[in-house]
Amino acid sequence: MSAVLVVHGGAWAIPEELAQASVDGVKTAAREGSSVLRSGGSAMAAVEAAVRALEDNAVFNAGHGATLNIDGEVELDAMIMDGKTLASGAVSSVKDIANPVSLARAVMEKTSHAMLTGRGANLFAESIGFSTVPADSLVSEFERKEWELRKKYMKGVAEDFKLKLAHDTVGAVALDCAGNVACATSTGGIRNKMVGRVGDSPIIGCGGYADNLIGAVSCTGHGESILKVTLARLILSHIERGKSVSEASQLSLQTMGDRVQGAGGAIVVSPSGEWAATFTTERMAWAAVEHDVLWFGLEPNEKQKEMLHQ
Amino acid sequence: MLLSQVTEMLPVVLVHGGAGQIPKERSQMSTSGVCSAARSGYLVLQGGGSSMDAVVEAVTQLENNPSFNAGCGSVLNITGEVEMDAIVMDGKTLASGAVSAVRNIANPVQLARLVMEKTSHACLTAEGASKFARSMGVPEVPQESLITDYSRMRWKKNLVPDANPVECQMGKMGTVGAVAVDAEGNVACATSTGGMLNKMEGRVGDTPCIGSGGYADNLVGAVSTTGHGETIMKVTLARLILFHMEQGQSAEAASDLGLAYMKSRVGGIGGVVTVDPKGNWAPRFSSLQMAWAAAQNDTLHYGLYTGEHFTQAIDDPH
Repeated sequence: MSAVLVVHGGAWAIPEELAQASVDGVKTAAREGSSVLRSGGSAMAAVEAAVRALEDNAVFNAGHGATLNIDGEVELDAMIMDGKTLASGAVSSVKDIANPVSLARAVMEKTSHAMLTGRGANLFAESIGFSTVPADSLVSEFERKEWELRKKYMKGVAEDFKLKLAHDTVGAVALDCAGNVACATSTGGIRNKMVGRVGDSPIIGCGGYADNLIGAVSCTGHGESILKVTLARLILSHIERGKSVSEASQLSLQTMGDRVQGAGGAIVVSPSGEWAATFTTERMAWAAVEHDVLWFGLEPNEKQKEMLHQ
Repeated sequence: MLLSQVTEMLPVVLVHGGAGQIPKERSQMSTSGVCSAARSGYLVLQGGGSSMDAVVEAVTQLENNPSFNAGCGSVLNITGEVEMDAIVMDGKTLASGAVSAVRNIANPVQLARLVMEKTSHACLTAEGASKFARSMGVPEVPQESLITDYSRMRWKKNLVPDANPVECQMGKMGTVGAVAVDAEGNVACATSTGGMLNKMEGRVGDTPCIGSGGYADNLVGAVSTTGHGETIMKVTLARLILFHMEQGQSAEAASDLGLAYMKSRVGGIGGVVTVDPKGNWAPRFSSLQMAWAAAQNDTLHYGLYTGEHFTQAIDDPH
């Protein structure tokens, strides 16, 4: 069984000034995740490592560099799912945590629950000695300026989506050498969101889903639209019925466009190692490692390759 | 002929009061509670209300009834407090609204509907949900008004060192929920819960998670689920059942398939209420009991144990 890892850095109209940094960021994260797989790590460990790398990169809307809510604060959502057991862990609206994906994994592994929210998630973090960071350390200069701009002009969230300027989510899917799949998704949510807004990312079947019998998916895009069609589960249901990973992704994103006028993207890996990175937004930064090849892209139909070791 | 059959099938409302093991002394209260909730939902539908109006009304009744684990009568978390989750979904637009870990609200299902209708979001959590409630003028209620002697007794019982967590969960597992189809063929679902007894602070179960606690789509049907939340989430039970219906299974067969899969794959038990857009309905459960009631064509249907199905005229007060 050859291991595969795919990551995305969010599907949206990535502006030119962030384009190169986004591509570099997903390539670095894909390398991090795949090195975990190559050294015999599990799919779970690989998706966690890849998403941590994306959270730590201020270019992306997760962990450091997350968008600010209407009060100018960072509130983060994340989830992780193990395709072997169907167990998952998630946190929603958590503050002062640099790597929410790791806290989500702790929820899965150290509690009998699957999701902790708000203050409860922070209390849990404290109880297991999970390190917290000052709120300001997660705020990038870029996001502070964006927030102030919006505050000044009182632009709403809806307007952001019309302009396709929403800044989105990161995620990873992986298949390890033992044939296990996993997914992880992490986000700061929508700019100027209401306090306590939970999007699709931490919701099982929406922001992600993983099942060793079918495959693993991580989604990005307009959260409320992804929720309406439970996008991750929808893609997997098409695969269950015999579609390829790429057909299943295209069909489901098309359904989301036709039915609820939502745009987005998804990365998928199947237990046989088939993978796809698909989106209906203007751009999505993605990267994948298969054998010794690193694949990556940003524009629709763009697929570049380079050798992993060069 | 066909038209008149269709007319007789609609509208319909189907409610559940939770799947689990209901202590004998409380089973009568559960049955009468779901029956009166189904009647209330049906009255809304007869008065020309939408399926969304009907499920919210039915679930509001169940939240207000201290016999159920939702609203007043919710189970207590580890620190002895009430934190509630709820969701509504409109099958016509696929829009949904949810609240998670919300406190001091008498009717979380109504707040979930406000999230759907008054915000551009689909879920608000914890403090943020309370803040939104205040901005909408939803009255805050003292926590004491949501706590019953029974829920406090169970909480204390479960805190003792040798408590049997399985036994203590029994009888208070259940979430409440409703599904409905209105005269126009629109489907909707609503689910509300106090969650799991002695849960951690901030724990969110399946109920407010779209596709797990409920799902509604005019093209397929609507489902509201109950049972062990973490297990329901593993299989996204509501969405799973609707996938089976999309493949041509009846509401009943699809519900059984979904529940059987949850049992075989992840060892979970639970219950569901399911409708299709034509008005076919099915209350199905793999637990020992589930209190359920349905109202259709001026007839009230209800049951508690597997295979139980009583009927009476809707205006029969008993």
